[in-house]
Amino acid sequence: MNAIPHKPHFVRPCTRIWLALIFLTAVTYSIGDAGLGGTPVMLAVLAITFAKTQMIAAYFMGLRKAGLLWRAIMGVYLATVATMIAVAYLIAIK
Amino acid sequence: MSTSTPLGINSASVIAAPAGKYPPGDLAIWLFIYAELLAFGVFFLSYAFARSKNVELFNQSQLLLNRESGAINALVLITSSYFVVRAVAAIKEGHSKVCANWLGAGIGLGMVFVVIKLFEFSAKFSQGISLSTNTFYMFYLSLTMFHFMHVILGMVILAAVMLKARRGGYTPENHTGVETGASYWHMVDLLWIILFPLVYVIR
Repeated sequence: MNAIPHKPHFVRPCTRIWLALIFLTAVTYSIGDAGLGGTPVMLAVLAITFAKTQMIAAYFMGLRKAGLLWRAIMGVYLATVATMIAVAYLIAIK
Repeated sequence: MSTSTPLGINSASVIAAPAGKYPPGDLAIWLFIYAELLAFGVFFLSYAFARSKNVELFNQSQLLLNRESGAINALVLITSSYFVVRAVAAIKEGHSKVCANWLGAGIGLGMVFVVIKLFEFSAKFSQGISLSTNTFYMFYLSLTMFHFMHVILGMVILAAVMLKARRGGYTPENHTGVETGASYWHMVDLLWIILFPLVYVIR
């Protein structure tokens, strides 16, 4: 069994992603805890959520190294879900 | 040439993917993952459009949810997912036991999620809340219970992978099973990352 040599990281890229995800989750919770609402807040929370899901897909699920088709399916899915949720909330305001 | 992402990650170490290269793990799990994402996507949008016809009811009912437990569970699943990433990294470096330990830690956090969720469900049921209470709770309970079942299945898959890793069943050259289990678990995490703001936060 041969171990694959790799460049040692002081802080691994996945650890940076994990810390970013923790920070963005704390931001999302704080927005909810402050009772904030309205269109700009809704769009901001959805943008944060979209960014988090892209990080999970690319760095945790490893899609950043996959072929274009596999990345495109996930990217289109996440963008469609976020956009349609925004549309549903905007319809409710009007 | 080296470039840097907004997060400061050096892309020089990232090997360029040949066209059509499969994602990590078994191909079948990815077909399953995309089918699951589609089902949850329909569920998420059904919730959002049902809310658009009943904004007051959804906003008032949402205030009665335990946002803290939803946020803690998000942190728990994100961290669990991170542990599983470390498990995959460990087996790629040839450390079977370390891989099994990271998987064990990931499963442990999965159990924390389950316990917190059971307390949350129990609190709602003791208040007399059920699927038929109102449209919001119908969505809240069915969405979170559907996700809960995926957490349980993910833990079973990770446990099977962990036991095999502990026996030295994976190598740096052959560890598709670890990546397959990991990909499924990350999907479970990804779904909660959407579910938490959608049901607990956005109003």
